Amino acid sequence: MDLLESLQLGLATALTLENLFYCLLGVSVGMIVGVLPGIGHLAAVSLLMPLTFHVPATAALVMLAGIYYGAQYGGSIASILLNLPGTASSAVICLDGYPMAQKGRAGSALMITTIASFFGSCFAILVLILMAPPLAQLALSFHSADYFSMMVLGLVAAGSISQGRPLLGLASVVLGLLIGLVGIDVNSGVMRMTFGVPELFDGISIIVIAMALFGVSEVISSIGKTGDSARSINVSFRSLLPTRKEWSQSGWPILRGSGVGTAIGILPGTGGGSMASFMAYAVEKRVSSKPESFGKGAVPGIAAPEGANNAAAQSSFIPTLTLGIPGDAIMALMLGALMIHGIAPGPRVVTDNPELFWGLIVSFLIGNLILLILNIPLIKVWVKILQIPYRLLFPAIILLICAGVYSLDRSAVDVLMVAGFSAVGYLLIKLGFEAAPLLLGFILGPMLEENLRRSMLLSRGDFMVFLERPVSATFLILSALLLLWVIWGSLKPRQRPVVNV
Amino acid sequence: MNVLTSKDFLAGLVCVLLGGLVLVVSSDYNFGTPRRMGPGFFPITLGALLVLLGCAILLTAIRIGERLPALNLRPWLVIPAAVLAFALMLPRFGFAPAGIAVVILAGMADRGAKVMTLALLAAVLVPAVWALFALVLGVPLPFVTWS
Repeated sequence: MDLLESLQLGLATALTLENLFYCLLGVSVGMIVGVLPGIGHLAAVSLLMPLTFHVPATAALVMLAGIYYGAQYGGSIASILLNLPGTASSAVICLDGYPMAQKGRAGSALMITTIASFFGSCFAILVLILMAPPLAQLALSFHSADYFSMMVLGLVAAGSISQGRPLLGLASVVLGLLIGLVGIDVNSGVMRMTFGVPELFDGISIIVIAMALFGVSEVISSIGKTGDSARSINVSFRSLLPTRKEWSQSGWPILRGSGVGTAIGILPGTGGGSMASFMAYAVEKRVSSKPESFGKGAVPGIAAPEGANNAAAQSSFIPTLTLGIPGDAIMALMLGALMIHGIAPGPRVVTDNPELFWGLIVSFLIGNLILLILNIPLIKVWVKILQIPYRLLFPAIILLICAGVYSLDRSAVDVLMVAGFSAVGYLLIKLGFEAAPLLLGFILGPMLEENLRRSMLLSRGDFMVFLERPVSATFLILSALLLLWVIWGSLKPRQRPVVNV
Repeated sequence: MNVLTSKDFLAGLVCVLLGGLVLVVSSDYNFGTPRRMGPGFFPITLGALLVLLGCAILLTAIRIGERLPALNLRPWLVIPAAVLAFALMLPRFGFAPAGIAVVILAGMADRGAKVMTLALLAAVLVPAVWALFALVLGVPLPFVTWS
């Protein structure tokens, strides 16, 4: 199938009434959770995952993806207006967005970030369209050993490139892998770590883990912290149109930011777009002729990061859809949704489910267009949403979590597990463990074991197979280098990382 | 300060204990050979890895010794309890009583919460969420029941 035909198929799929509806629903929900501090896109995606059981796979993915990139748009609004990042990836927007708002240029800042978001997304979608099919083609020739090593790199990266301590990140990955093993072993029929509880025989649902760690634990740590910001916000809407100077200042930064974001989004372990936006900000400051203006309302300081985090949100779908290897927790949830609908992730998704793959990509374009159109005219609505007090919001979140988890299997035990996992999870997070690498380990665990088993069977128990195949060896060497770098870093006298806002 | 109560020491301890537990539990499963891995191969390897990582974390604790951050104690106790109440009440009494309980209980996690406000909130939320799941998505979910 050539590219034009594929895109036509995608267009036909994405433009069905059902998919359009779920796209609109997804991006609107994404926009709202993006605006709201105290509820992230991970929580929102986990919260809505049970709903996707009742819709076809394509519609489910379209909606969940919409939440993710929609949140990237919404995140900057709270950053600019309140100096309060709605999502982690838009924290860097505060640096120059809030000063711009104080100078009365809030409207213009919102306009520029919206345009930057849209451009960054489109840039990355274009790269996705051009890169994904050949990459999937290439991946078809990968063996189980290659997959094993690729997953190892993904897990090592997710564990070590984290905000906290790399050793704890790696321990979180191992913990996730172990939780993923709970249940019946498909090869031998042995029950592993089920402690005789029949509800555990089929393993623990990804939704239970995600709801407990990203939903409930997040609520526990946010209560009393987010503060009820019932301040009234006045945006002067006359200032909505950027001046000619502001336009010309944002052109190149948006382009550079999109490039940086797209590249970083493809890499494993760089999760959630926050690394992309920080990196883009750093690049912009480096190349700027007036680096001293950054932090005081510099236009490139909002344009580049905003382009970058949206580009990363889209390009992170490249490894997820073509290789079946998720780069971060949100992509792990997307894979989980695929598997729930009985679609095995991997390079075959592109050829075996073309309507899903291309429909999803075209829906990205449509979703971004909707966001571009919705964002500015509805700004008053978003500001209103920003004023919903958290004390009314979080009981609703908890109720939705309970109802959603129960609706999976109509099992009260699943809800009990959420209660347990969230209480334990909150403690573990306080101790420095991390939820995102844990979830990644959880989703990759069974696949990792299966590929290890298969490669060892094929190589007759020779571990050298992982170093003899060039693809596998490359990934393993990269993982080893990353590990060495991490160990080196933790042995050195500690310095605080530079990413402090 | 005391190393034994530092954040990293406790985290390392958790790793060692959990890894040890996994090793004990998995010792019942057949380890197999590398060529024909048994069901115990992967869990035992991972358990050992977790113990090793835990030891490494314990070692770093001696040098870093960061204090355990304060827990958000009230929400940490109240919110899981609310979820627990929902799980126990739903099969017996139906969605409405369980939903009202979870909204009011969870709401109490916030220090300044007022029961009246939460009751009003529950009166709006519970029917709406029930309608979403039972009517729109078609999940068999009795609104009120007794068993």
